[in-house]
Amino acid sequence: MQGIIEYLVSLNLPLLTEGTARFLVLLVVASIVAVVAPASLIILTWLERKIIARIQDRIGPNRAGPFGLLQAVADMIKMFTKEDITPARADRIVYNIAPGLAVFSSVMSFAVIPFAPGFVGTRLNVGLLYIVAVGGLGTLAILMAGWSSNNKYSLLGAFRSVAMLLTYEIPMVMMLVIVAMAAGSMSLADIVDAQRSMWYAVSMPVVFLVFFFAGIAEVGRSPFDLIEAESEIIAGFHTEYSGIKFGMFMIGEYVHMFALSFFSAVLFFGGWHIPFMDVTALPAPWAAIIGLIVLLVKVFFFVFVMMWFRGTLPRFRIDQLLDFGWKFLVPLSLVLLIGVAFVVKLFSPGSSAGIPVPPGPLSGLGIAGEVVGLLVVNLAIAGLAMAVVSALARRSRNKVLRAISAVEPPAAVTAQSKP
Amino acid sequence: MPIEIPTLNVIALAPQIVVVVTALVVMALDISLTDKRVVGYVSLLGLAAAAVVTFALLGGPAQAIQQMAVSDGYALVLNLVFIVTAALAILVALGYLDERELQHGEYYALLLFSTAGMMLMAAATDLIVVFMGLEIMSVALYILAAFNHRQVGSGEAGMKYFILGAFASAFFLYGVALLYGATGSTNLHAIGEWFSPDRGNLGDPLALVGLGLLLIGFAFKVAAVPFQWWTPDVYHGAPTSVTAFMSVGAKAAGFAALVRILMVSFDQAFTLDWQLVLAVLAVLTMTVGNIAALAQKDVKRMLAYSSVAHAGYILVGVVPATMTGVKGVLFYLMAYAFMNIGAFAVIAVLEHRDAIGTALSDYAGLSTRKPFLALAMAVFMFSLTGIPPFVGFWGKLYVFRAAVEANMSWLAVVGVINSAISAFYYLSVVVQMYMRTPTDETAAAPALRLSGPVVVTLALALVATVVLGLWPTPLVNLTALGIFG
Amino acid sequence: MPNFDPSQIPLVSIVFWVMTVFTLGGALGVVTSRNLFHAALYLILSFFGVTGYYVLLSAGFLAMVQLMVYAGAIAILILFAIMFSRRPMAHESQANQQWWLSLLLALALFVVLVVVVGAVNWPVSDAAPAADTVTQLGVALLGSYLIPFEVVAVLLSVAMIGAIFLAREKTEAEE
Repeated sequence: MQGIIEYLVSLNLPLLTEGTARFLVLLVVASIVAVVAPASLIILTWLERKIIARIQDRIGPNRAGPFGLLQAVADMIKMFTKEDITPARADRIVYNIAPGLAVFSSVMSFAVIPFAPGFVGTRLNVGLLYIVAVGGLGTLAILMAGWSSNNKYSLLGAFRSVAMLLTYEIPMVMMLVIVAMAAGSMSLADIVDAQRSMWYAVSMPVVFLVFFFAGIAEVGRSPFDLIEAESEIIAGFHTEYSGIKFGMFMIGEYVHMFALSFFSAVLFFGGWHIPFMDVTALPAPWAAIIGLIVLLVKVFFFVFVMMWFRGTLPRFRIDQLLDFGWKFLVPLSLVLLIGVAFVVKLFSPGSSAGIPVPPGPLSGLGIAGEVVGLLVVNLAIAGLAMAVVSALARRSRNKVLRAISAVEPPAAVTAQSKP
Repeated sequence: MPIEIPTLNVIALAPQIVVVVTALVVMALDISLTDKRVVGYVSLLGLAAAAVVTFALLGGPAQAIQQMAVSDGYALVLNLVFIVTAALAILVALGYLDERELQHGEYYALLLFSTAGMMLMAAATDLIVVFMGLEIMSVALYILAAFNHRQVGSGEAGMKYFILGAFASAFFLYGVALLYGATGSTNLHAIGEWFSPDRGNLGDPLALVGLGLLLIGFAFKVAAVPFQWWTPDVYHGAPTSVTAFMSVGAKAAGFAALVRILMVSFDQAFTLDWQLVLAVLAVLTMTVGNIAALAQKDVKRMLAYSSVAHAGYILVGVVPATMTGVKGVLFYLMAYAFMNIGAFAVIAVLEHRDAIGTALSDYAGLSTRKPFLALAMAVFMFSLTGIPPFVGFWGKLYVFRAAVEANMSWLAVVGVINSAISAFYYLSVVVQMYMRTPTDETAAAPALRLSGPVVVTLALALVATVVLGLWPTPLVNLTALGIFG
Repeated sequence: MPNFDPSQIPLVSIVFWVMTVFTLGGALGVVTSRNLFHAALYLILSFFGVTGYYVLLSAGFLAMVQLMVYAGAIAILILFAIMFSRRPMAHESQANQQWWLSLLLALALFVVLVVVVGAVNWPVSDAAPAADTVTQLGVALLGSYLIPFEVVAVLLSVAMIGAIFLAREKTEAEE
């Protein structure tokens, strides 16, 4: 990026100082990201329909264009031309802002993603916090939409989604903290660099799984798609929306899912790094191109996994969902946080984010020691969690069994037959 | 920037740590124990341990921790005040909560946390730590005030206290922010340094507004006029065992931090600009509290207004900003802890389950129904009025003397006049108990039950009020240790 | 306009004034709005303005925390609580008969603050903004401010115990 700026300055055009050149380049890059991210909707919806169709033993869209590729375009046209309805007693201003905010919040999160070596939107040293902060705006959009529609189903949908988002934000943020601890930085580019030798998904598989599940819940996709459980609350918070505004919520959702895939790839699967090859060492344009391709392959893998989930898993019930969040993921992530902090300290190489600190007692074992240590701690905690859960499940099952066996059938019948 | 692992002089916060650890132990015990009274006794043990630690540190050199807190004589003497308050309040609660089926382990844990917050306020030498202590104390008290929240009055008390208390905290924080903006530090000694005469910062408007906002925050917490409006409703609505605790504890903690801030940081800046304002506040607080108390028909509410008046008396000791005044305040707070909690313990016995039985007429003829209870209440009322030979007399004497020594005799005169006014309503309780026959209604009321812990509380408070009144030397010697380190 | 140089536009002051409009306009909206939900949304707008201030002061970490904690968590919870209230769509006056009294008091405080702000000789630092505020904050929190940092833990557990106690439903034994 610096190269482009220097080139522009060397043209010596009027008004084109270093500052304006930087501004222009950033503007162009930002616009590309802001346009491409929503445009990914076209490819993503097509992919989703095809994959789900395959899982359900159907063919999927195949009329519009080759392989039905233009199906999404047809859908878009339909959506744009539909009537835009605002309910009579809705709060007009809030009702109209909400869809925009939904798109805004998911597109904004792309600002900090490191796409390829040297191509990072913003090298924000608080990138991880930024992700969480911007994600909160999405919650706000849902609340605004649900409330302003003046519809009970919308309101219930908004309640559900906010309860869920708040629940799953906690384990997600804690996993981000763990990543920041391991990498010694909150900048996403630094985190990618820190995975040069080993992906975090390998050394910390449980951390990744918790992050990914919480992420799916944040995005509101199956099996956590309670927000729009049709059979219970129609379409949830966007029940009243139609036409382009409904489309914007859909865009927001898909972009959010796309962003989650990016974050999974960047934070846990080494971003542009691939095993046994140093992508950044390639000559100038190739490093960026190969890096981007590597990243996109990983991203689409996660997109596929999420669609696969949707085609395979049934939906959670709201109480199961909240129980799973509060009673399983939150305690698990607290234990993980402490465990990983312990290991990181144990193998600390004597400097953290460039600041000299006392090296850990096992720092002599180097990066390999740390990887093994993290893996052991992760697996141990996972084993412990499983043991606790199965013990609890056995106890509650026994309780039910006792309750069933305690009931004497004739007594129950007579009790019922009384007027 | 090299990272230095700070060395911590944990000794300085040892009493606070003991109390917090006890609170955590109490929470853990609460899960497994079915008889929650055991939890209360464990809390008492923890407080005893904290008292032992405090005594061990007392008289030794002041221990500071990271310029954030210090355990000097002042903080340690106040620790004793808080420990006595908390212990007496727990004793009252043991019986009181049982009768109302409110016996939960959380009560004792929150009370201990609140005590730790108060102790932290007394020890803090940094405005941030003062705020932390203030919030720990207040948040726990909000919950305690609403502890019987299924009853409307208690829930209302908690809500009112929470909203107004949060408001006061905001004022306090705003003051801290302005002070930081002016002086560049939140450390009390650094602020004092900044105000030293050779720096030429006296009369800096920003710092003075900051101090003014701090004073508003503290005035809320100690229930001084014109920020006393919440007091009657909260004190009346909260469970009586909680009212006993917070009427003394919160007041003492507020004064503890206020006096340290005035003495350490502001000294001259305070006497130049804010002293007169605070003096006027003291007069108003005494007068409004006493006059409003005159009109009350409910003893619990009357004591709420009386506690406003007592905040005024204590302010008389604060206004001169001298060491004599500080010792007077310490003496007063200790005396107030015994006599006020004693009075609330009597109220707790007379109060029926549905928060009735606190009216003045319910005390009619108590001397024939329960002579011991009536005698105890009479002693507490005399002591609160400031009649010799009870401990309350000495407390008033010391704070008024400080005012006279600082050439503010008029303040002492107003205080004495107010004490005379207060005699009306305090003695009317005594009159009811000894010179009226029980009404039919009170005679028909269920028999009063004196549970063991309450008898212990009353005995302790009674003995302290009388003995320290007749022989105040030990308490005087103790408060003489209350110097800043 | 040959002398026009866009880099001379005081971008920082433009952003500052925009943020000021957000902050103050939002705050004004909070107190004047007749609808609680709108008031909460204005509050979020105000928080955004403050976030902007932090960004202008090169305090990226604080900006993100402001956005995350205030706009993302506190305001959302406020909205959540409002939606649980009986009439979330109601338009009612937020004032009672004493509104003029509080207006007077607020104005008095405002005048005092304005006078003070005008009278104060504000200390100005010409030091460059810290490059890595995250590290410095971390070192300060676990170094010189370790005691308050640890004490916050006590405060949070008190708040948590209290909230759970108040919100807890009656157990079977109590029924």
